[in-house]
Amino acid sequence: MNVLLCSINTLKRLYDISAVEVGQHFYWQIGGFQVHAQVLITSWVVIAILLVSAILAVRNPQTIPTDSQNFFEYVLEFIRDVSKTQIGEEYGPWVPFIGTMFLFIFVSNWSGALLPWKIIQLPHGELAAPTNDINTTVALALLTSIAYFYAGLSKKGLGYFGKYIQPTPILLPINILEDFTKPLSLSFRLFGNILADELVVVVLVSLVPLVVPIPVMFLGLFTSGIQALIFATLAAAYIGESMEGHH
Amino acid sequence: MANMIMASSKPLIPVCSIHSPSPKLPVLQISLPKISKPQILSLAPSTLKSLSLLAASSLAFAPPSLAVEIEKAALFDFNLTLPIIMAEFLLLMVALDKLYFTPLGSFMDQRDAAIREKLSSVKDTSSEVKQLEEQAAAVMKAARAEISAALNKMKKETQAEVEQKLAEGRKKVEAELQEALANLERQKEETIKSLDSQIANLSQEIVKKVLPTV
Repeated sequence: MNVLLCSINTLKRLYDISAVEVGQHFYWQIGGFQVHAQVLITSWVVIAILLVSAILAVRNPQTIPTDSQNFFEYVLEFIRDVSKTQIGEEYGPWVPFIGTMFLFIFVSNWSGALLPWKIIQLPHGELAAPTNDINTTVALALLTSIAYFYAGLSKKGLGYFGKYIQPTPILLPINILEDFTKPLSLSFRLFGNILADELVVVVLVSLVPLVVPIPVMFLGLFTSGIQALIFATLAAAYIGESMEGHH
Repeated sequence: MANMIMASSKPLIPVCSIHSPSPKLPVLQISLPKISKPQILSLAPSTLKSLSLLAASSLAFAPPSLAVEIEKAALFDFNLTLPIIMAEFLLLMVALDKLYFTPLGSFMDQRDAAIREKLSSVKDTSSEVKQLEEQAAAVMKAARAEISAALNKMKKETQAEVEQKLAEGRKKVEAELQEALANLERQKEETIKSLDSQIANLSQEIVKKVLPTV
């Protein structure tokens, strides 16, 4: 029985070390509502990174750009290019939306892969990329939905709803369904990719702590970038689609 | 996750009939006690039975607080985080627009416009270039005229000098010639004079010799 208790203690210690926490959250109470504190904390860090780097780089623009300004100009041109390809000539007002979408998701994803969040111990749950949480991705996807409805309505007024019976009224149910599948697919694609990526890395690290997880980590970085680009591109494509005329 | 993989191999171990009430786990809960692989391999078959007992009982002995937390674990847990993230995103969008997209974008556009203006102004300077070319041609012409004038002048001067020297030389030669001729003449006269006196003597001797007995 002594041996038994000893083994139990060992197992419990192992449990503490190797617990992979999925769906565990660090809750805060705000006015009777619960929030996922780990998501909020990491999202604040991501926002701080974005704002500080933007301020530092764009504070004093030079005609011949310096290194950081050059990088930010490159990023801006990239975002403008994405928006222009998807939305068309009237892309100008949508650059902040598409750009913030891309940058926020990209920095969130990479922060999950590059910043050593796990060093900071939380009472419960653990810090990870903000996009690791379904709340974040659904929030972003719903904003995209609002954005493309706003784009369509401001461009064409109530005539925007005419698209539901285009090209034929038979497609009405499918067209309405599309408005639900778009945010659903956007949010679940991002959520699933980032969560799966982090889990694969965690599992490989717990099995083989050396060398082996490194290629998977690089793959994760690649996937993270691609997912950010896909989200931004699709958001722009939806906006462009609702703005283009059906004649 | 690793635990789940480990846990999935558990049914391979013969479980003896000790019924320990393991907590009912929600579907998405993945945290289970871990049994490291080397440990399994090092165990003799006889100990496997007690190991399975351990595994089961360790779940039973899990602290109640842990069980409560496990109950709450959820991947699809929507709450106030969602609207907060939305608000944060919108604030970030406004802030980035004010700090980054608009200032840097307008700055880049202005620079593009300035460069384009400079390029087009460069294209319009063909008349200026023509004028400059004419100036250059005029300068070249003047220089050529100057050079040829200088050349001509130099040629004339040289020629005059050469002629002068030639004339001098000729005069000198002529003077010497005259002198030489005068000398020759004088010598000739002297010779003729001496010859005259000799002629008289010779003719007397000839006469004597021819006419000895006269």
